[in-house]
Amino acid sequence: MGVIERNNVHVQGTSERSMIFAHGFGCDQNMWRFVEPAFADNFKTVLFDHVGAGGSDLKAYNREKYSTLAGYADDIVEIGRELGLTDTVFVGHSVSSMIGALAAQKAPGMIGKLVMVGPSPRYIDDGDYVGGFSETQIEELLQFLESNHMGWSTQMAPAIMGNPDRPELGEELTNSFCRTDPEIAKAFARVTFKSDNRADLDKVDVPTLIIQCTDDIIASKAVGEFVHRAIPKSEIVILEATGHCPNLSAPDEVIAAMRPFV
Amino acid sequence: MDVPRIDDFEDMFENAPCGYITLLPNGRIKRVNKTLLSWTGRTAEQMTGQRFSDFLNMAGRIYFETHIAPLLRMQGFFNEFAIDVVTAAGEPLQMIANALEGRNADGKALFTRLALIKATDRRRYEHELLTARDVAKTNLESEREASELREQFIAVLGHDLRNPLASISAGARILGREAKSDKEHQVIAMLETTVLRMAGLIDNVLDFARGRLGGGLTLDRDTRKPLEPVLHQVIDELRLSSPGRQIQAEYAIDVPVNCDRSRIGQLVSNLVGNALSHGASNEPVRVRAATEDGLFKLSVANGGEPIPEAVMGKLFEPFFRGEVRASRQGLGLGLHIAAQIAKAHEGTLAVSSTSEETRFTFLMPLR
Repeated sequence: MGVIERNNVHVQGTSERSMIFAHGFGCDQNMWRFVEPAFADNFKTVLFDHVGAGGSDLKAYNREKYSTLAGYADDIVEIGRELGLTDTVFVGHSVSSMIGALAAQKAPGMIGKLVMVGPSPRYIDDGDYVGGFSETQIEELLQFLESNHMGWSTQMAPAIMGNPDRPELGEELTNSFCRTDPEIAKAFARVTFKSDNRADLDKVDVPTLIIQCTDDIIASKAVGEFVHRAIPKSEIVILEATGHCPNLSAPDEVIAAMRPFV
Repeated sequence: MDVPRIDDFEDMFENAPCGYITLLPNGRIKRVNKTLLSWTGRTAEQMTGQRFSDFLNMAGRIYFETHIAPLLRMQGFFNEFAIDVVTAAGEPLQMIANALEGRNADGKALFTRLALIKATDRRRYEHELLTARDVAKTNLESEREASELREQFIAVLGHDLRNPLASISAGARILGREAKSDKEHQVIAMLETTVLRMAGLIDNVLDFARGRLGGGLTLDRDTRKPLEPVLHQVIDELRLSSPGRQIQAEYAIDVPVNCDRSRIGQLVSNLVGNALSHGASNEPVRVRAATEDGLFKLSVANGGEPIPEAVMGKLFEPFFRGEVRASRQGLGLGLHIAAQIAKAHEGTLAVSSTSEETRFTFLMPLR
């Protein structure tokens, strides 16, 4: 199976300039449904699911490869090579901001600009650094995820995986945007919330836009500012929007922040 | 105290048998009903205007932000999610919640309504199920490791037992050439018989271990060489080792049989050995091997007491041992291995037992 099927890649448009959107922990490429259309006229847009999420090929999920964010970054590079992307705008939400930062270093020239929506290089507090979470709380999260399987069942997996395009979802596919094998969800949560990419930030040498929400408990304003200070060619925009998913809750603000930058 | 009225909707909201919360689009609490306030030991003043996620434990907060909030925006509702609301005393209150987003005509979110039901018992039950599953998984893994080790041990043991047996067999042959008295010949014949029986037991043990180790029995099929001489040899050896017993053999093999000859020999050896051990000693063991009706048919019959109905179903299970005098006591693998050999040839091994005779029949398709 090629990377296009593996990562459920969808490409729109033929523009020379391209933009690739990466979803974070929790859901899938549908997270970009209100933002991507705004750029589809001027950019070739690329949407995909990380392996283990959405309509990706769950059989391609490799515990070892995806135990670090670098494994996910390798996939971005593979998708970029497959599509011949150069000087592309990489838009990453949440943990995918860091995945994008790693991918940019792995394949110089492929990613020309980075947009980070709600980034955090480290979620767990460490000395003076305030990530917002303690080790114990993250362990609790991993436990807690088991209580919320979102209707996932082995019987249903073929139905979910058999509809990678999922044109119109029936009632039984409720929650499918955010549903996956609980074991994979747990592993992705672990790699997300236990990662530490602070040392990778100053190696990011492409222009970077940080989009930061007011009142985001996952990635606080202080964390966003930390990222801004650490990445040399970065700028930060603070949105009025609250929460961790402005791409869904306040797409207009996200689009307005991105336009002048891209 | 006010008497509640059936059509009082305000009362239905406030004192419903579930908790209600209304959220503004920014996630802050607009209104909480009395039921939830009393369950959490909080006041309306404490909760109104705060973020809903402020009243969740940290895991719940992350889950709310990364799953519930996005799903509400994408599909407009989210049912049956587990969440822990933290009470005024700091205790987690396990709940199951449904959420519904209210939208205007443009799809813009106006508010979110949440209905929460206490689910302490259910969540504890689920937790116990999860724990039990994990324990079962761990036990299964360690059990699997132990059994793998055991089977490896048997395989190694089988190999190591063959070598000294080969020395005894060679020694007996050398002595046999120089034996003079009848007594000496008798002892050496007995030695050779015992070696043969021992070798058979070891073969069975090895095959059993191999079958269990996942590889299964492997066949070395060959149509070109005739099967009959192999059967002759096996039966002759058994005649030698059972003096005083009669084995009648009848052959009608007219076409080549696509089989592993040494395996079929082993099957016959196991079946005839079984018949000698369990059949009446004053009646012959009757072997018939034939090719007819597109099948290779091999049957081994003996007289004596029929096999009790109760044990018929267990005959082909490993380590099954019937009543037999101690000197013929085996490992209980003979029939099991024979059945495995039959299966590997896409054939069947069946048994019938009456007061007249007990008959094992092996059938395999000729192709």
